[in-house]
Amino acid sequence: MLQPEGPAPSLDEAAAKLAEAQAILQSSTASLPLVCLGDAIDLGADAEGGVMKGHGTMMAGEAQLQATVCGLVERVNKLVSVRALKGRYTAQVGDVVVGRVTEVAQKRWKMDVNGKQDAALLLASVNLPGGVQRRRTNVDELNMRELYQENDLISAEVQQINQGDGAVALHTRSAKYGKLQGGQLVTVAPYLIKRLKQHFVALAAPLDVGIILGCNGYVWIGSKDLVDAGGRDEDEGMEAAGPSGQVDLQLRERMCRVANAVRALAALGLPVHPPAIVEVCNLSGLLRVEIKDMLGPEFLAQVAYREADRRQAEGDAQPMDH
Amino acid sequence: MPGLSAAELSFLEGGIAQDLRNDGRGREDFRSFSIQLDVISQASGSARVRLGATDILASIKAELGSPPAEFPHLGRLELAVEISPTAGPEFEGRGGEELSAELGKALERSFAGGANGTGAAVDLAALSVVEGKTCWVLYADVLVLNADGNILDASAIGIKAALSNTRIPKVEVLAGEGDEEGELELNDDPDECARVSTAAVPLIVTLTKVGRHYIADATGDEEAQMSSALSVAVNEKGQLCGVTKRGSAGIDPSVISDMLSVARRIGKRLLAKVDAEISLAESRLESET
Amino acid sequence: MSARGAPSYSPYSGIEERVMQEDGAGPASRSVLGADSRRQDGRLPEECRPAFLQVGTVSRAAGSAYAEFASTKVLVAVYGPRESRKAAAYSDTSRLTCDVKLAAFATKSRGKYGQGTAERELSDLLHKALVSAVRLDTFPKASVDVFALVLESGGADLAVVVTAASLALADAGIEMLDMVAATSLSLVGGHLLVDPAASEERAQDGNVLVALMPARNEVTQMHLAGAWPDTHAAQAIELCLDGCHKLDGEMRACLREHAATANGS
Repeated sequence: MLQPEGPAPSLDEAAAKLAEAQAILQSSTASLPLVCLGDAIDLGADAEGGVMKGHGTMMAGEAQLQATVCGLVERVNKLVSVRALKGRYTAQVGDVVVGRVTEVAQKRWKMDVNGKQDAALLLASVNLPGGVQRRRTNVDELNMRELYQENDLISAEVQQINQGDGAVALHTRSAKYGKLQGGQLVTVAPYLIKRLKQHFVALAAPLDVGIILGCNGYVWIGSKDLVDAGGRDEDEGMEAAGPSGQVDLQLRERMCRVANAVRALAALGLPVHPPAIVEVCNLSGLLRVEIKDMLGPEFLAQVAYREADRRQAEGDAQPMDH
Repeated sequence: MPGLSAAELSFLEGGIAQDLRNDGRGREDFRSFSIQLDVISQASGSARVRLGATDILASIKAELGSPPAEFPHLGRLELAVEISPTAGPEFEGRGGEELSAELGKALERSFAGGANGTGAAVDLAALSVVEGKTCWVLYADVLVLNADGNILDASAIGIKAALSNTRIPKVEVLAGEGDEEGELELNDDPDECARVSTAAVPLIVTLTKVGRHYIADATGDEEAQMSSALSVAVNEKGQLCGVTKRGSAGIDPSVISDMLSVARRIGKRLLAKVDAEISLAESRLESET
Repeated sequence: MSARGAPSYSPYSGIEERVMQEDGAGPASRSVLGADSRRQDGRLPEECRPAFLQVGTVSRAAGSAYAEFASTKVLVAVYGPRESRKAAAYSDTSRLTCDVKLAAFATKSRGKYGQGTAERELSDLLHKALVSAVRLDTFPKASVDVFALVLESGGADLAVVVTAASLALADAGIEMLDMVAATSLSLVGGHLLVDPAASEERAQDGNVLVALMPARNEVTQMHLAGAWPDTHAAQAIELCLDGCHKLDGEMRACLREHAATANGS
């Protein structure tokens, strides 16, 4: 009766093509170390030396590790965990995230970062206007809303994670972090964002926009200025947008194209990273696809085919590496 | 849907003013949509519509009932919308009820026609079985599975599609004996069923006012920023068959008349698209069976 | 339609479905099993209906699943874990909330959406079946909402709801001790009919439902009602447990297949 969620098909060849392309993508995935809920995890040689159980696992009897989610087994030294494909964002110290203020509380802001709980941004962990390092006063506390208010989007970094309950603390103690303006947010599943060296990326001309790939799946598309590490001053309130959100039409078009490229990748379950985004934008230009049609089944099929071809070429060249 | 920041709202409004919304659409563009027919086997007719991420099921159940007291020669068309909590936790309990009621009323207004049944979405007189006593009641139920804005327009598309898929059993009134009333004999044979003509079924175009402009087919984020909206039902003849104002802000009358003509124009385009999609869905259905 | 050719998880396969006669006649008017000892829809008494399972059907939800067992169709969406906004100071188990609703078109004659007591009971039973499997300790101070929708009520509704809900939770990446599979059975005229259709349930003298964590072999929920002669009850439970184990295989296959398509490498 109901078909799986995905780009809405119409009877056309487009839908048939898309289905075909996705089937190719699916089959091109070499056998991955997938485990299902309740499966025993093969510890192999490690069973002797003992392992640390990470996220997604639990002990089942002695020396027997069991998966508590469906996903890929990951081993980092002695830490064995299972990465669920979907699921909430699991923070790591140093992650760049984009968060939304849900509450202005005493001496801190509570932030939605797409995790199991809200994260905290302490008043002590932000850059105050003027860039001066000083003690926070009562006035600061009362004026918290001057800095960030409810629903504001902020780029930040994960400072620490509480061992006990996993509560996350953020900081914006660097010029490049802070309130986001003059752009739009696209939300994708966290597993599609890989941890890279750089999460603030300036896409080169002709795209010429800046993006922030939040590890938590919140992706911000804005002007290139936000990537410029040197010049941000909270006081000025970034005006990449002029008053009343005026953004140059050309820039807006480029931002929309990039945003739709991100949405297209997410719709197909493909990793969202700068080279992929640029490729999708280029493809849309090549095929003369209008920005608004980038989310239609025809273009998505093309993107899927490209990716399937790329994988085949890669797979022929070398084994998949995880 | 979470609230947007002042900056995002400003960016959104800016885009609408420049006729380039966040997903690249112009102000009058609808998202691409798909229609599947006959998705609920035990209904007399059904359809599933996906408009962007908004996902709805429309079912038509034909049951025998009594005709309206004032118009004993007519049948009935009853409409209801339910937003399932699967669409989002904000629709659990009370949250969904209010919106469901509002949308149900808007649908009724658009599909009911005049009090005496003229201009109704379907031929109500054709639904009569025994005048004054028995008639077909078409229960149209819309169930919202996933919400990303513009549930009302998607529902109207769904009902039109579901009606095109509807089969009403043939009823024979057997002669009664003497003063007794005749019994009703139902013929369930699919080949003998009556179809419902959907030529007069309107579509609804909801224009959402954001700042000084208005947009068609708003997404969840865009809807959350609306000051007011006008839902306009347009039929094949280009006639207006229902207008519902939504939202709490007032609208200037000249703006309203402009919105009505814009809605008419968009409605015409949309009707052509929907008819095409329904035909596609029908041929797909045929090739499956 | 799409469910045709769905894998059967019973010992017998390739059975054609005969059209069910839903004329509402009373139980005494026809014998439960035909001359060939088959049920109205052609199944043998210990045979389950083919299970069509799918995950990821609702995009906005953290996880979702759709299950179709012949004419029983269920959709489940899971939201969370999210910060508990309400004072979740009650019991720890209240951080998992379950809500079951029947669509207005779910039953043959149109019912009103939100059918009250029946739904509250189903919600409660669903909660009991799932709560021992969900690892609440992995999301302190957060809650998970499970919303189930019965799109068509064709018999054994609760069992299908539990199964689909378990898939939706797995799809959402919520840590669990194990999957939960559920099977029910109706006692009709002395016969044990596994995975009953609606007409068989209407005629039942008793019924049993078992929800099981198959890999751990632990029962999370069980209830039995009606008058059961002799060893029938024990046999019935055995049949249900077997059904659950077989259903588990189908559930895992479904999740694996879905994981293979989500290929982010």
